[in-house]
Amino acid sequence: MIKRAFKTWFLWELLVGLSLTGRYLFKKKITVEYPEEKTPLSPRFRGLHALRRYESGEERCIACKLCEVVCPALAIVIESEERDDGSRRTTRYDIDFTKCIYCGLCQEACPVDAIVETQEFEYATETREALYYTKDMLLANGDRYEKQIAANLAADARYS
Amino acid sequence: MTTLYINEEEITVSAGTSILEACRSHGVDVPYFCYHPELSVAANCRMCLVEVEGWNKPAASCCTPVAEGMKIHTQTEAIKKDRQMVMEYLLINHPLDCPVCDEGGDCRLQDYAVAHGASHSRYVEAKRAATNHDLGPFVTTYMTRCIHCTRCVRFADEVAGTGDMGILNRSDHMSIAGIVEEACESELSGNLADICPVGALLDKPSHDVSRPWEMTHHQSTCTQCPNGCDINIESRGDEVMRIKPVEGSPEPWLCDRGRYVYDAFRSDNRILEPEVRQDGELLQATWDEAFDRAGDLLRGKRVGIIFSPYWSAEGLASIRLMRDAVFPDAKVAFDLHRRDMRPFAFEEGFSMTTQQIEDVEHVVILGSDLRQRLPLLMQRLRKRGNMGKPVSRIGAMNYRTNMSISSDAIIRPRDWPAVIARAMQQVSDLGQTAAGMDTWLAAVPDRHEAGKVLADSLMGETCALLVGEEIRSHVDAAALIHGLDLLMRACGHAEEGNDGRNLIPEGMNAQLLASAFGDIRTSAGDLFASASAGELDALVLIGSDPVGDGLFPSAAKAALSKVPLIQIGAIAGEIGNSAEVQLPAAAYSEVDGTFINMEGRIRVARQPIRSIGQARPLWKVMMRLAQALGADVPAVDMTELRDRMAAFAPELADVWKDKATEEVLVPVARNRDAEALPARLDSSFDLDVVSRYSMYREGMWARASDLLLAAGKLHALNDVIMHPETLAAKGLKEGEHTVRTFLGEHSCHIGVREDVSPGVLFVAKRGVAGDLSDVTAASIVGGQS
Repeated sequence: MIKRAFKTWFLWELLVGLSLTGRYLFKKKITVEYPEEKTPLSPRFRGLHALRRYESGEERCIACKLCEVVCPALAIVIESEERDDGSRRTTRYDIDFTKCIYCGLCQEACPVDAIVETQEFEYATETREALYYTKDMLLANGDRYEKQIAANLAADARYS
Repeated sequence: MTTLYINEEEITVSAGTSILEACRSHGVDVPYFCYHPELSVAANCRMCLVEVEGWNKPAASCCTPVAEGMKIHTQTEAIKKDRQMVMEYLLINHPLDCPVCDEGGDCRLQDYAVAHGASHSRYVEAKRAATNHDLGPFVTTYMTRCIHCTRCVRFADEVAGTGDMGILNRSDHMSIAGIVEEACESELSGNLADICPVGALLDKPSHDVSRPWEMTHHQSTCTQCPNGCDINIESRGDEVMRIKPVEGSPEPWLCDRGRYVYDAFRSDNRILEPEVRQDGELLQATWDEAFDRAGDLLRGKRVGIIFSPYWSAEGLASIRLMRDAVFPDAKVAFDLHRRDMRPFAFEEGFSMTTQQIEDVEHVVILGSDLRQRLPLLMQRLRKRGNMGKPVSRIGAMNYRTNMSISSDAIIRPRDWPAVIARAMQQVSDLGQTAAGMDTWLAAVPDRHEAGKVLADSLMGETCALLVGEEIRSHVDAAALIHGLDLLMRACGHAEEGNDGRNLIPEGMNAQLLASAFGDIRTSAGDLFASASAGELDALVLIGSDPVGDGLFPSAAKAALSKVPLIQIGAIAGEIGNSAEVQLPAAAYSEVDGTFINMEGRIRVARQPIRSIGQARPLWKVMMRLAQALGADVPAVDMTELRDRMAAFAPELADVWKDKATEEVLVPVARNRDAEALPARLDSSFDLDVVSRYSMYREGMWARASDLLLAAGKLHALNDVIMHPETLAAKGLKEGEHTVRTFLGEHSCHIGVREDVSPGVLFVAKRGVAGDLSDVTAASIVGGQS
């Protein structure tokens, strides 16, 4: 009875609560000052897609359309034809990022590691149109992030 | 019958059935690669191994006949192990490039590798590579993927009859080779891609374009020839990607024309929107504007209507309804290959099914390049030939058939009466006759030895006459057909049921056309003549191209220069250049409709692909036209239209209600009183002109298809051909010559070929040879000697 009155009159619970706040007040801060600072990303991070090339500069994609058929959001559209040298290539490879749910199934389905998801996530745009990526844009992504993609694949290789 | 046990279950099959067939017919799954129900048994893939109790080794089920009391197991552990090993063996040299292979997703090898294969291979040595072959415009090869099942070799031998593929070497060096690198010579070459169980032989036109899982399937009927095969149209979106045969249909194959004509569905030649000619140029218009213009040209005018038989039965019936409502006096023509419009003793269409033709004792082909005209029927005859049954032929040329013809004669068209008379003579010498035969016989002074071929075949118990277009387009066709009818009667082939009288029609729906248009039809030639003579004010052309096809191109050109043309159809073609108004009508792949083939078999297409552009089904265009011309619309919906149609062919009514079975056939019209005696045809010309139907060039659809045109170049003969001796007798040789006909003089290059009958000027390319298609006789007046 006395203990209860003591806790009530001396605001004990408030002190307990404030002491937690106080401890954090003097602890080292974990806030990341985005965009000046960034958190580390897993090699398996699923961000913006990219189409890769071989070292020779030849595009990897062989238009097997497995990514197109596996895509649960129906975000990928591919058209293909036989190129003059007899190899099977895409004439159109579009990803609609307004539809994409970043599940990574396309990357898993790809037999030649052509379509991959990079760690890039800062591609917000002002218009929807800018989120409709064509083959050229995706190949440009691949060229831009190739070093990062290769490093991530290498880092993840032992687990796959 | 034999009783045996498959996986403990007792089943009964007819004696001599193979174990594999017994399993297939009872829904037991046995994997196989080299077996094909339509081909002979090779037993070289070893995939179909099953265990037979009491046998110390597994049996290849495709080549092991069933025996009484046999106990078969298809799912034991040992068999699973065996299949795993067979799969591993078959995959040793297979490149496993499924992602870039068109077969991927629809591949037997891929499916079985998942179902029966092990997850890994122990083979680490180098894989064998193989050279690819050029197999024509329709088949592309990736021989490294081949598993040597020899289906293609057997197909070329037994079905296509070309026999130009084979196996070279053995063991690891074994390879399939086109011995003459031209399997493309076959009109059935497109089927090679279908029968290959792996991705070694692939469809060239659709290569690397699409994947099997992207396709939407539409079952329909091919209207490229009177055979009307069931087709499976594969589309992606609104675009037709491929046409394939329907499994389990009477014709398991498709000819190249029916298969690759899809190229025309999406071609630039399609009429996609209503167009009206203004200041000499066709300009896009609205439907209302186009109908207004058509109304101005047609209202109260004397009109001639020409249409193609390839529309659906509904479309054809609507033409009749439109004509009755708006132009009750108009004459119509639909046959561009018939000169003699008197009623025939037996009208166009078959009294027998293709199966019956395959089974009868004798088959006689009279004046038809059957391989081009009805490739699938020719295939059935070839199958007959493989079983040792005779096929005879009389015609103006030794048309290539890819089979050995048992007796054969080449004649000039003017000798047809003499041929039939010779056959009648032989029959009547044996004491057999029919009422009226003597009169017919007396009207023909000559006898031609080729008649023996005909008479010999007719003497059999059962016989099928296949009367082709050399007779159908003859100027005295009614007399010839009456003669043939008499001959059949004299030989005891009574005129009832499946009595062997088969007149190859020009197109589909011949039975319906005879009943719906029999009273108003006229010859296309006469129609053009009356247009040229100023007796008509306008021509309505519904899907036909008399300038490019048929026997009246110059008459058509003359008529079109006199009167305005209203063109309704799917393809514009060359004739579109003279149209005042063009109205788009949907292609046969794009309509809900009924189709009747030459045997009278009825097919109803219920899941059409969406039409491109503004094309509408023909019957809607016809009804709208009737409305635009101020008449009451005869039918406002499909049900009403079909009710009206049932008057022409009552058999159809049950089919629409799904009450009728497969066996309902629309009968062919007979004219028992159509007696016609052969006339004496005096001609001042010494050569008979025969023009050839080419499956790669005849018909608007074929000409709008780049694929078929390319193939046509491979199959091309010289434009005009003669027998070398006929030319030599005139002191001339191969080269440029001047040919005189009733139309005037033309200069053309004449090639020589021993296959052509002496005395015949053979026009191999109708369109190219232009005016020569119009005539039946000609003379050479000068040229290279």
